[in-house]
Amino acid sequence: MTALNPDFAEEMMKYGEDTALACFNCGTCSAICPLLHDHFPRKLIRYIQIGAKDRILENAAELWKCLHCGLCTQTCPREANPGEIILSLKRMAVENWRKS
Amino acid sequence: MTEEKRSPKAEEKKVGVYICYCGGNISDHVDVEEVRNRMEKLPGVSVARTNMFMCSDPGQEMIMEDLKSGTVDRVVVASCAPSLHETTFRGAISRAGTNPYVYEHANIREQVSWVHHGTPATDKATRLVAAAAAKAEQLNPLEPIRVEATRHATVIGGGVAGLRAAKDLADRGIPVTLVERSPFLGGQAARLDRVAPTGERAADIVSELAAQVLENPAVTVHTCSRVTDFSGYIGNFTLTLQKAPPQDAETLEALETAAAQGAEPGAFLPLAGVIAEDPPASPASVTVETGVVVLATGFRSYTPWKGEYGFGESPQVITLPDLIRQMTTSPSSGEQLRLGGRPIRSIVFIHCVGSRQIPGIHPENASGTLNEYCSRTCCSATLHATGRIRRNFPGTRVYEMYRDIRTYGRGHEEIYEQASREGVVFLRFEPDAMPEVIPTEEADTYPLRVKVTDTLTFGEELEVPADLVVLATGMEPNDVSDLVDMMKLPKGADGFLLEVHPKLRPVELPVGGILLAGTCQAPFDIGETCNTAGAAAVKAAALLARGYVELDPFVAEVDLSRCAGSGACVDACLNEGALAMVDMEVDGKTVRRAQVTPALCLGCGACVAVCPENAIDVAGMTLKQYEAMVDSIGSEPTAA
Repeated sequence: MTALNPDFAEEMMKYGEDTALACFNCGTCSAICPLLHDHFPRKLIRYIQIGAKDRILENAAELWKCLHCGLCTQTCPREANPGEIILSLKRMAVENWRKS
Repeated sequence: MTEEKRSPKAEEKKVGVYICYCGGNISDHVDVEEVRNRMEKLPGVSVARTNMFMCSDPGQEMIMEDLKSGTVDRVVVASCAPSLHETTFRGAISRAGTNPYVYEHANIREQVSWVHHGTPATDKATRLVAAAAAKAEQLNPLEPIRVEATRHATVIGGGVAGLRAAKDLADRGIPVTLVERSPFLGGQAARLDRVAPTGERAADIVSELAAQVLENPAVTVHTCSRVTDFSGYIGNFTLTLQKAPPQDAETLEALETAAAQGAEPGAFLPLAGVIAEDPPASPASVTVETGVVVLATGFRSYTPWKGEYGFGESPQVITLPDLIRQMTTSPSSGEQLRLGGRPIRSIVFIHCVGSRQIPGIHPENASGTLNEYCSRTCCSATLHATGRIRRNFPGTRVYEMYRDIRTYGRGHEEIYEQASREGVVFLRFEPDAMPEVIPTEEADTYPLRVKVTDTLTFGEELEVPADLVVLATGMEPNDVSDLVDMMKLPKGADGFLLEVHPKLRPVELPVGGILLAGTCQAPFDIGETCNTAGAAAVKAAALLARGYVELDPFVAEVDLSRCAGSGACVDACLNEGALAMVDMEVDGKTVRRAQVTPALCLGCGACVAVCPENAIDVAGMTLKQYEAMVDSIGSEPTAA
């Protein structure tokens, strides 16, 4: 059981991210991602939507697999800018790593 | 049919037989040219021809040329089912200047080539076409029944559909009576606030439409009225309306509010509608003579069963119409939405409540049915509401739990995207894993928690705290069982009134002169409702425009030279009023004989079966014609 944390999406804004909630979970980004890895990047975007910060930090290493090729951003039908979201998540992960 | 009967008439009656290949649909299994050879040799048949597609222009022109040149004077087409192309060929005969009723149709596709193969198929086709030709010889020209039509329309229901239809008919110069059960015009739309996708105020839409109707001298509005009696037929209906002072508590309360505000007739009362006239002080009866009836009886919002997502058990579980109502009396913006003074930190909306119900998963309604249809408007209405709440109350968290989002209309997908960008969080559940609404312990800061297995989060179970749960309830047809019984209206399995054909005749009912407008037929939004209401008005105006209506002449006819007045036909008649015993002069004597009211006759033939004197027949389907067919079928295959 996971309780939703709606405040996390707002917390993400300071890392430059404000489009995660525009994502409607179609999965196009994961389908086109050359990494083809475990719903990347949709899964991490979904974790922002539900505020599962712990999950993101647990899986933070995945963020550095991203090649920043830009295919997800080009193809996102909601223009939710998945590539930028990954960059913002990296900033968030780095800051939290320093804290811990 | 015997030879001596057929031969003398062979020169006079010239039957043309036209056999269709249906592009292989028929000719792959029936030897069409062999059937043509056999038909050609029948004594009554002048010509027999074939065509790849008889319904094509060249096919129809072939028939028309034979009629114009006098080669044939009656027509048999052997092709698909008559439901598909009988009217096509009757039309061709008319265009050739011949009476369209000297036509007989043989179905050699559905009844032959699709179910038989090889020689038996060709032989069966031969017999069916020969029987049709034998009947065609006996056919007489008929005239359509012409019924005078009262130039007046009645619209039942004063919601958006009824108002739109009444105004459109009145604009065409047709006097209209509008019947509304409540004291208010505007129906369910009057109970809304702002409507998707444009964000217009429903009050403005309803007020504008109602004013146009009330100002139009051609429209007579009867509120607080119900139809209690109905009789007649297309062009000549008689309706009895009962006007009665309103009784139910909700209406009386609304009227008290109106009186307290000093609202005059014509004024819009929020969440109720436009007051058309003062409610009657005492019951009264009104009789209306009318030519067409437009049904605009509308819908009601689904009421969840007690315990459905906690409805009826927790006061914090309400329906979307409830929320809209409560929001009209609360501040329109602020940090957090407040309902009845209570701050709402978190709302969960649940979609598809009372819609898209699945046998075996959802419990049946009180009437033992399920609403298996999609109500179509609730997705957009919910998204419109959630987007507005996020925009106007940034401190209120909004969650939507859906099965599928169906924002099908123009401008509706944009509402979905807008709601997302405003920060609504979406969760998706499977129909067999409905969200659970759980009341919390007193120590909890939220009164409710909603648990859902979220397919967007890969099937994880998530929990959302909620101050309020809103159920996006669907549409159900209003209970019009009294009208259904009185007017013999067909209903679909979903309980809505059922049109003749969903695509080709979408606003007509099989009962002539009765039309459908709005959500009595299916869930529609306001725009779609106006589309159907406009279509119904045009159909009604077209029926009344000529002052008369023409009906197919396939009705019972009494042969007064044979009728002995037994009355057996009247007893057997299935449609009250179609047959009656009347006094009339026959050979200088007053006798009681059967008389047909053609507009009411169904052409079923029950009377023909019981007449001891063979004195009654259905035109175009007489006993003699059927005997000719049976004789033909029973005879040795001609020229085989």
